[in-house]
Amino acid sequence: MTTEEQLAVPLLEAQDLAVKYPNGELALHDMTFSIDAPSFTAIIGPNGSGKSTLIKTILGLMKPVHGFVRVLGHDSVKDSKTIQRLIRYVPQRDHIELTVPMRVKDIVLMGRLMKKPPPRFVSGKDREVGKSALKRVDMIDLWDRPFPELSGGQRQRVLVARALAGEGQILVLDEPLAGTDAESQKMIVEALGEYQRDFDVSIIMVTHDLNPIHVFVKHVLLLRNTLVGIGTPCDVMDPELIKRVYGPAAEVVEYAGHRYCITPDSGVDRHD
Amino acid sequence: MIDLLQLIFGTPFIVRALIAAILIAMIASTSGTFLVFRGLSFMASGVAHAALGGAALGFFLQETGFFPWFDPVLGAVLFAVLVAVMTGYAGESGIAQKMEVAVGVSFALSMSLAVFLMYYIPSDKVLVLWGYLVGDILLLTNQDVVLLVITTTLVVAVILMLNKEFVYVSVDYEGAIAHGMNARAYHYVMLVVSAIAIALATKAVGAILVYAILVAPAAASNELVKSVTGVMVAVFSIALFAQVIGIMISFAIAVSPSAIAGLIAAFSYVVALQVRRIRERARDQKLFEADKEETIPATFEGVVVPDDHSGHNH
Ligand SMILES: Nc1ncnc2c1ncn2[C@@H]1O[C@H](COP(=O)(O)OP(=O)(O)OP(=O)(O)O)[C@@H](O)[C@H]1O
Ligand SMILES: [Mg+2]
Repeated sequence: MTTEEQLAVPLLEAQDLAVKYPNGELALHDMTFSIDAPSFTAIIGPNGSGKSTLIKTILGLMKPVHGFVRVLGHDSVKDSKTIQRLIRYVPQRDHIELTVPMRVKDIVLMGRLMKKPPPRFVSGKDREVGKSALKRVDMIDLWDRPFPELSGGQRQRVLVARALAGEGQILVLDEPLAGTDAESQKMIVEALGEYQRDFDVSIIMVTHDLNPIHVFVKHVLLLRNTLVGIGTPCDVMDPELIKRVYGPAAEVVEYAGHRYCITPDSGVDRHD
Repeated sequence: MIDLLQLIFGTPFIVRALIAAILIAMIASTSGTFLVFRGLSFMASGVAHAALGGAALGFFLQETGFFPWFDPVLGAVLFAVLVAVMTGYAGESGIAQKMEVAVGVSFALSMSLAVFLMYYIPSDKVLVLWGYLVGDILLLTNQDVVLLVITTTLVVAVILMLNKEFVYVSVDYEGAIAHGMNARAYHYVMLVVSAIAIALATKAVGAILVYAILVAPAAASNELVKSVTGVMVAVFSIALFAQVIGIMISFAIAVSPSAIAGLIAAFSYVVALQVRRIRERARDQKLFEADKEETIPATFEGVVVPDDHSGHNH
């Protein structure tokens, strides 16, 4: 494949995608879309709308019952090994088990060591990259601290650093902003945005709130167990669309020439 | 002193007991530690009792002449591995709760089987079977010790080789798979290897002690020690200490060494909880004082209006 052809391959490409849980819950259905690479993509939607499910399907952790999704041209089921090399993944924070006495450095190095073949020894370079990743989220002072003893927001920043320290063209983060204050959000979002620009990677992240990220975000997927909207952050700021996803309580208000989007999830967001 | 050492090392059953104590401490520091990390401490108990059921079946099959080659130890290991695999299957989704149920059910099943079969086993064999429940570290045979050496070597080798894998699978099961690790295989290897070790340790020192020694020191260390290696070393020390003290006291007064060892191990957890509470209180106190110093001058500088992040311009 030449570079040009590679550029033409979409980051994500789904067709008639449907995903079911073993208990029969149809979490996603009739999803057809395509997103060009490189991208900073946000997946938004209310609780239970299938955001995590879509991510798990992309990563090959769940198999579609219908249709397919491709990541840079690789089928999520058939080419899962290739996809695993391309991605770095941070699950929702509550999926990280805190009973194991990991230090901050162990968590960050994990981002690199998981992809190494056994015996997964730590090299000088691993340490260096890990430290610079922690610097990006301003957590370097906590290098030796026990991870379970950090605050929720600090843990989230360390987990983002784990993704930044890894290797692979696509960063996938499930709700990296959950439970963080305004300052942490700014830090995480800027770290991700700058990293995406500097290293020419793609970022796919689940979030409940477009506000802090829409400056960096290129594409937005709006979910409610199927694809309800796709486009730039401005495109999805459509009153009809927002109401359809978040219910009648959600509003898009125009004031002084700007558009504000008010949803139960996101507070206020202003658009021109 | 020299005399005492000569007496100890000249007495085969004491030497065997001490070797077994070291081996079981090694099993605890590897298997026990990782089971506690994985939130699976109850599996140690389920597997140990399954070993009892398996041994009962072994005695029964031998005595009735159905399968004279079916050694009780073989039964114990088979049942233990079966329970481990069932637990593993229930937990493939990564949810510990389901594994708990699987362990509970197999616990009930194997204990019922053991009690049921006891009526059909000659009474001298029933005594041996009781050993699987409340074994005595002073009554080990050479064969017991050899089996224990082999299984300890296996467990320690596997866990030293795969410790990063086991840690990652315990910390972030989904993430491990997503990054290309065969989390499922590691999950099963860990359970099966632990099960074999627990089964043979049960034969040596009894289900109750195995449970106490495998779980309590690991839980205690995990409260206090902040690194994986540190926890493993601490578990080894506590487990060995508990057993050696148990053996020593059993010479002074008529008491089962397992009972003393179990008590000390359980007590270590209580102590760890207390130490942790005291430490936390001390830390909170320090934070509180630091807070006071910082906030008082701040009030004189006036209220800082926080940056309003609720609106962005495009
Ligand atoms: N393990 C599971 N077993 C069965 N059903 C599930 C499971 N996980 C999720 N579901 C169902 O699938 C649907 C989508 O869930 P998903 O976790 O993808 O939502 P989400 O958009 O990530 O929600 P949240 O914002 O709460 O994280 C929900 O209806 C949920 O009940
Ligand atoms: Mg989710």
